Amino acid sequence: MDPITFSIIRHRLYRVVEEAVITLKHVSGSAITNEGHDLMVSLYEADGTLLLGGVGFLHHLTSAAEACKSIIRRFEGDVHEGDLFLLNDPFTAALHTSDIYLVSPIHFNGELIAWSACFVHVYDIGAMNPGGFAPEAQDVFSEGFSSPGLKLIDRGNLRQDIWDTLLNMVRGPEMVALDLRSMIACNNVAKDRMIALIEKYGLPTFQETCKLLVEQSEARLRERLRELPDGSWQSRQYFDVKGEVYKVLLTMTKVDDELTFDFTGSSPQSKYSVNCTKWASLGGLFAPLFPLLCYDITWNEGVIRPIKVIAPEGSIVNCTKPSPVSVATVGAIQSVNNAACTTIGKMLASHEQYNDQTSAVWHANHFAVFMFGKNQKGGEAIGILTETFAGAGGARTFADGVDIGGEIPNPISRMANVETVEAMFPVRYLFRRRLMDSGGGGQYRGGTGGEIALVPHDAPDGGLHYVLSGKGSKFPQSEGLSGGNPGALNDYVWVHTDESTKSNDCFAQTLDSIPGDKESISWGVFPLMGKDALYVRWNGGGGIGDALDRDPQSVLTDVIENLISPAAAREIYGVEISDGVIDDVKTGERRSSTKHKRVSSNGEKR
Amino acid sequence: MTTRQSSTLVISNGFTCCSQCLAEISPAGKPWKRSTSVSITKIVQIPGSTSSTHPDVELRHFACPNCLALLDSETALPDDPFLDDVLNPRREN
Repeated sequence: MDPITFSIIRHRLYRVVEEAVITLKHVSGSAITNEGHDLMVSLYEADGTLLLGGVGFLHHLTSAAEACKSIIRRFEGDVHEGDLFLLNDPFTAALHTSDIYLVSPIHFNGELIAWSACFVHVYDIGAMNPGGFAPEAQDVFSEGFSSPGLKLIDRGNLRQDIWDTLLNMVRGPEMVALDLRSMIACNNVAKDRMIALIEKYGLPTFQETCKLLVEQSEARLRERLRELPDGSWQSRQYFDVKGEVYKVLLTMTKVDDELTFDFTGSSPQSKYSVNCTKWASLGGLFAPLFPLLCYDITWNEGVIRPIKVIAPEGSIVNCTKPSPVSVATVGAIQSVNNAACTTIGKMLASHEQYNDQTSAVWHANHFAVFMFGKNQKGGEAIGILTETFAGAGGARTFADGVDIGGEIPNPISRMANVETVEAMFPVRYLFRRRLMDSGGGGQYRGGTGGEIALVPHDAPDGGLHYVLSGKGSKFPQSEGLSGGNPGALNDYVWVHTDESTKSNDCFAQTLDSIPGDKESISWGVFPLMGKDALYVRWNGGGGIGDALDRDPQSVLTDVIENLISPAAAREIYGVEISDGVIDDVKTGERRSSTKHKRVSSNGEKR
Repeated sequence: MTTRQSSTLVISNGFTCCSQCLAEISPAGKPWKRSTSVSITKIVQIPGSTSSTHPDVELRHFACPNCLALLDSETALPDDPFLDDVLNPRREN
């Protein structure tokens, strides 16, 4: 095939996805979509083969492929031009019920030639807790409506009975309707642009390009894998829910041009909704694999073929129905993602040529804070604190991680402005900033996380409530590499006082200075009422290399910028600072003595 | 002849070795952390932790027993074994 035509069509496919994403963002009215970019668009071949994965949350690319294939099986003989299907059942393909897939067949001259699929985390799904993350759910049946596949649009005609039924099961139906319409518009744009592309180049050329694209990706990944050494690498992630500790253990083995991800040894499935299904685990490990190992390879089915997954049934990474899974995307999926990031990073570090592609774990612990209640305009509001998408970069082998630098599984994640949140909810930010001592120590430091504090403001009902879930605050999860420290931990503090407490300090600039009793929380529904405050801090990225090898001048700069404390400079980096100046002699002594403690503190061998 | 095993380790003469001093640590292709100097710090003692931090979770540092260069780190609960990273020694060829 003419390589120039091939490249043009390939680039046009990228632009199709890009324009579809823009449509999705512009039509949706939810901050989680148009501010946080919790979305995804991708294209599939007629048989559901992933043709081109787009940006957004990458752990959806493989799950949406399975959604396409499931729709093809379920509706065999009943797929027509102008149809549109909905699927959100986690035990069929979706990650959790809130992330609805809308899947559209694309026909050309009456022939089914492709599919487009997209998702957003809808405003509400009718779960027992507002917003979709349901920490109080006992099973998937209490996590909102769940469909293994239904036809929402039949030959261009919206099925009003289905539409009305869906919207009858959710809070904020007008906002959910807008989410669904944004996805319909997104798929329509993708479909129109694909048809225009085929009209220009002809169906045979288009189909040949699709076939070559997948073959090329598979060949290039296999070639890359053959360049890397054979071996096995392990990683482990801990998290907790209400004092119960869970573990995701991963052994990644590379033999010739194949990679196997084995999760044997991970915890049994939980009674809490942090579990994930096998489709979700598959997506979770591909989220870092696409950008770290395939940064210059088209993300499609060809990349999936050399990969094998072992996820024991009944474990937290392959739970059985009806286990609850609504928190999966900030639960076990993210742990899978983190563990895969570490093992892939270790493998890349084993080859000189790929060492600079290595990264410590980025933002490893999403926090899901969904506020709900009456807003300052008298309407009902539900929405996530999008700071969870702000993230933190893991250190690289040649540079520090990016502060508040996003996350690996979503290359376009971001957070809303403070003013946007304050306009939508009756709250006021006391502060939002980078978090001191949050980036994992190392020769190259992990990027910092952040911290925020909120109080009610101008609230008709005196405040709001919020649903809090995630992976707790007890374990560091942004693992370091090559001797680097992990990023610091998340924490959530409910500051509460009785109404008789008189406080004039409504502009407190630190957690300690917010008046009231401070209670650490991590799971459940809590008030932000009256004089309550909510403090959230999120983890930094992991560090790389020996912290004692970090340039002392960089340590001093970090201290001056309040990114690390003088205590951290001394205890982690061995840098003594006096009156804003590095004491070279004491620094040398401290570093030498710290290094020698490596043998004396626990020198026995295991 | 040496080949790279990681940022901090090389394989030489059939052994996993420290890349800084080339001290032999363990036979190549076998778990090597048991032959290092291990220092353990509770995460709660590291700047950046909070009162919510699990009291038992620890940071393990693995250092070259000869030159004390830092080779790797991992977080773990005390009862959990070391994570093993192993390269197939045939890569040396």
